[in-house]
Amino acid sequence: MTTKRTMTLNLTDAEMSVLEQLSIQKDITKTAVLRQALRLYQLIDTRLRGGERLFFEDEIAKEKKELVVL
Amino acid sequence: MSPSRTIALQDMSSGALVPAQLIEQVDSAYAHRADDSWLSFIAAQTACAPPEGLSVSGLELQHAHWRWEQKVQSVGSLLSYPTLGIECAGEVQGLMLLRTDGEFGRLAEQLHHPIVYVVFLAAAPWNLPAVVAEPRFRGVGTALLRAAVEISGELGFKGRVGLHSLPQSEAFYHRYGMRCLGIDEDKERLNYFEMDVDTAAAFIR
Repeated sequence: MTTKRTMTLNLTDAEMSVLEQLSIQKDITKTAVLRQALRLYQLIDTRLRGGERLFFEDEIAKEKKELVVL
Repeated sequence: MSPSRTIALQDMSSGALVPAQLIEQVDSAYAHRADDSWLSFIAAQTACAPPEGLSVSGLELQHAHWRWEQKVQSVGSLLSYPTLGIECAGEVQGLMLLRTDGEFGRLAEQLHHPIVYVVFLAAAPWNLPAVVAEPRFRGVGTALLRAAVEISGELGFKGRVGLHSLPQSEAFYHRYGMRCLGIDEDKERLNYFEMDVDTAAAFIR
């Protein structure tokens, strides 16, 4: 389908370890994890720039914490 | 210009396969063109249908109220919401909106694994046997569903696809081996369907 372009990505050992763990947990490739992360980042960024806010809610502690992203 | 590739539809007047373009990211102007022509067609069908024939005029079409321009505008250029269209004979023959984030499998063997979710999928009304006695093109829904499975594969989701079906379309999804997991109380009491990895592989083979 869509043409893809290749880039080199430099990750630390810790970052690569997280990437590998997510790849196993989600049953998708490491490339798929990063592409998914990009889509999610764009989605959150667009909605935050549109004036919406993102919270994590802890139902037990009855706490809401706002997630702030770059 | 949105990327596109050539697919085949069956021209029902001749029975021949004809080339069509699968467009991979449609814009709101394109969706507006579909709304215009599809709604005009339904209105014309409704106007000329005899009273006893209203059930096949489009009035009974369960997605006749969908407005694609609004749907496409609402997702803008978000990568999480691919929008696809099929163009043939100078007309929009079908449209689909997908979501690729935050949807997970419900079948036991793919529980919690990411899936591509078909938010909306529709063929032009002149291609629907429920609306016209002689549809113009066959294969629009199949081509769109196939594209959803292919995108799922490209994203690393192994072809897993899920959707809530309008009652009028359930037989179509059954035909392609999607499994019905029953009524979803949280989704307008629509039946939820899901395609597993093996079925997806067989479908796009």
